[in-house]
Amino acid sequence: MKLTARMFLIIAVFFFLDVPLYWWLSHDPTGTAALTMAFGLCGMIYFYLAFTVRRIGPGPEDRDDAEPHEGAGEQGFFSPHSWWPFVLAAGGAAMFTGIAVGFWMCYFAAPFLAYGVYGLVFEYYRGENKHY
Amino acid sequence: MAAVATATATQAAPAHRVPNRPNLVSVGTIVWLASELMFFAALFAVYFTLRSVNGDEVFKANAGHLNVPLSAVNTIILVSSSFPCQFGVFAAERHQVSRTGSILNFRRYGMREWYAWAFVLGAVFIALQVYEYSSLVKDGHPISENAWTSAFYLATGFHGLHVTGGLFAFLMVLGRTYKARRFSHDQEVAAIVVSYYWHFVDVVWIGLFSVIYLIK
Repeated sequence: MKLTARMFLIIAVFFFLDVPLYWWLSHDPTGTAALTMAFGLCGMIYFYLAFTVRRIGPGPEDRDDAEPHEGAGEQGFFSPHSWWPFVLAAGGAAMFTGIAVGFWMCYFAAPFLAYGVYGLVFEYYRGENKHY
Repeated sequence: MAAVATATATQAAPAHRVPNRPNLVSVGTIVWLASELMFFAALFAVYFTLRSVNGDEVFKANAGHLNVPLSAVNTIILVSSSFPCQFGVFAAERHQVSRTGSILNFRRYGMREWYAWAFVLGAVFIALQVYEYSSLVKDGHPISENAWTSAFYLATGFHGLHVTGGLFAFLMVLGRTYKARRFSHDQEVAAIVVSYYWHFVDVVWIGLFSVIYLIK
């Protein structure tokens, strides 16, 4: 992860140097704003990774003698066979279609969106899957 | 059947006890927030582009409609909401859900009390922003008036929507603590990533406030 952090630092520095150069060459406010924020994007991820690697220590990807199996194991918790993302995405899609096509659709989409959010967030807090 | 946890649904050991791997939820949140930064970059670009096309004078004249003291107070309210949010995270990290002392004893607050404070401050921010919008519209400056009003309402409005989303996120985190019998690692992670989001929205507002209200 040290290496990942360094990659984002390099890109952040690149954008940081780009901003004044780009402004000097073009005097284009749009691109300058975008480049400044792109610096922020990489800087933010770098800051998080550097902060985290200091807290939890370097991972196997930082060592030359690491074996692939050292990176094995659980990556995180991904809710299996959950239908809630589908409900949420369908509600969101209908909502944004409503904004683009006709606002009346939003009134019908909003309950699905709200139900999708509720269902996803509370999936393991209620009903037959409750276990907390 | 309800009391039986299936093997797929149980969370293994807390991710921070697994050596050398960050929690994927927080990594995902940070990457998503970085992309959100680019969303706001587009809004800043809209503002600066319209400004360069219309001329600085037009924008300065329009920014004269703004009630800067009101927004300054509002900024202080939003920025101050980050503190109870962070104290809520500290409480969540020591797995203290609710207060152990009286409601006036801040030192014994748990996550619920701190997050409720952050929620109230955020809600006050939104209320004042709605008041600001309504006064601007009443003074004859709706979003359709000119380029400046378009840029102003879009930039601050999308930020307001983000704050509103954060308020709902606070409610979800709080709701989970009431639904569950114990404070789980799952809830702790959710509380932490919601705080990331809240701090991010705060920082974006500082940027918006400086550009739109202070620099004009």
